[in-house]
Amino acid sequence: MSLAIETEGLGRDYGDVRALDALDLEVPRGAVVGLLGPNGAGKTTAMLCLATLLSPTRGGARIFGHDVVRERAAVRRRLGLLFQETSVDGLLTAEENLLFAARLAGLGGRLARAAVSETIERIGLGPRARRPARELSGGWRRLLDIARATLHQPDLLILDEPTVGLDPEHRDTIWTLLDAQRRSHGTTVLFSTHYLTEAEPADRVVLLAQGRVVADDTPSALSAELGDEIAEIEGPGAERLARALRGLGSARAVLRTGRGFRVGITGERQPVVELAGRAPGIDRFALRPTSLEDVYFARTQDAGELAAW
Amino acid sequence: MSGWSAVYGIVARDLTRSTRQTSRLLGGVARPFMWLLLVGTGFNAITRLESGLPYPAFVFPGIVTMAALFGGALTAISTVYDREFGMLRLMLASPAGIPAVLAGRAIAAALVGMLQGGIVLAFAPLVLDLAPWRWPPAACALAAVTAMSAMLGLLIAARLRSVENFAGIINVVLFPLLFLSGALYPTVGLPPALLVLARANPVTYAVDLLRHALGQPAERAFAVDLAVVIGTTVAAFVVTAVLFDPEQRFIGRGRGDATPAAAPHRGSRP
Repeated sequence: MSLAIETEGLGRDYGDVRALDALDLEVPRGAVVGLLGPNGAGKTTAMLCLATLLSPTRGGARIFGHDVVRERAAVRRRLGLLFQETSVDGLLTAEENLLFAARLAGLGGRLARAAVSETIERIGLGPRARRPARELSGGWRRLLDIARATLHQPDLLILDEPTVGLDPEHRDTIWTLLDAQRRSHGTTVLFSTHYLTEAEPADRVVLLAQGRVVADDTPSALSAELGDEIAEIEGPGAERLARALRGLGSARAVLRTGRGFRVGITGERQPVVELAGRAPGIDRFALRPTSLEDVYFARTQDAGELAAW
Repeated sequence: MSGWSAVYGIVARDLTRSTRQTSRLLGGVARPFMWLLLVGTGFNAITRLESGLPYPAFVFPGIVTMAALFGGALTAISTVYDREFGMLRLMLASPAGIPAVLAGRAIAAALVGMLQGGIVLAFAPLVLDLAPWRWPPAACALAAVTAMSAMLGLLIAARLRSVENFAGIINVVLFPLLFLSGALYPTVGLPPALLVLARANPVTYAVDLLRHALGQPAERAFAVDLAVVIGTTVAAFVVTAVLFDPEQRFIGRGRGDATPAAAPHRGSRP
């Protein structure tokens, strides 16, 4: 199998703080992989190590077979990077920002100008290309950032929260552009996000918690582990009902949330609905399909707390 | 080739930015003229120099140095802004690497210093009698001085974490370098301790180099001045490349989970 990303025990400390413990990851070429996890899980640290901007404290990583420490220049030639904060120079126009990025990527003269023109067309920046970037809205600045990251047709895109803070329309535009990029050039995409629905179409999801991988599979396989459906239970009698569902044998997983419980259900739903209908102290009971958000809660919840169930 | 493209890109970007920050550019040119007008004419009334030069003529090479030093160094120090606001990591993530990034920043800063110093230099005929053949060596000396100023600015920026202390850099670093350089008064009359500092100050040799180029009496040999200015430039480039920490942006001051403060746990997990 031809790998775009390969890490072995990749870890990074900041002084005595262990931000990334040991990341083992294999991403095939052309795959779209979501890196999920709570704040402080080590997602950004992992991405910066893969992008050659941070040196690992332990372990190692290879991008298209190139070592991220010893062959930095070779790795960087294959990369397109998007950071959490938008990297756009407000004093330059959108077009000048792209030209700057093209030259940084090593494109010179006519090649750089052609790449900029093509990118402006592809992203739909046309009417805004000659405006100072500081006059663009947050959404357009992020689109400009995406344009910058994809301008040189990289083989691997590393995107740290590409849609953070954007409205649904801009988020949709960005994912459409990234999908087109992947289809036209076979670009491998590694992204992080807190919008878990954005990770549903990914080929694979890697869930980090406290610097370690706690789940790594396709979104559907991860969701299936929790059950066919999720019962959301709220109210003073929620805990008693959750225990009763477990006793019924329908519950595959029980998650405690801020407002009550989520119970992963398998098998027939009728006995579950009847039991919930008879249970006292229930303010809200709803059954819905399992989502990545449930997986997120299940895998990042304190292990001791889950064991108590 | 990628390195040259990156250097060119960085220079083009910095120059474009400079031309759009007109107040900063004008301020950089106005400062030396104010000194020339206020200090030059004011001290002319009370100062009698051994060389017999009128004070405005004596102080002129120092004022040109001031324009070059402030223009070059402050443009280079603005690297800290780029580090703070995320543009530096774009450059550092490029295949070109740190030397190309530093070279691009240094060339751009030197060109800004050259522009500001050149505007001041163009007014030389107003305060001193300058033979036409003196212009080319004066321009070359100015280029050497601005290159050194740019590299000194990058050296300062190499370990500077935030933009909060920009005014402090001007007051604590640039003005003392200028005052102890013989730009405003001859260093020969200084007390021994200050004389040692003046001799260790590379700007002293920059001012003296410009005196040579402008045909004024100088304190040291031309070769010494040129060697110190070029040597300082090269040494500053090497030291900056060593000191420049590409990870600095991500440690301590960054946001998100790349910072120790935000990291969730200490030591190994069981």
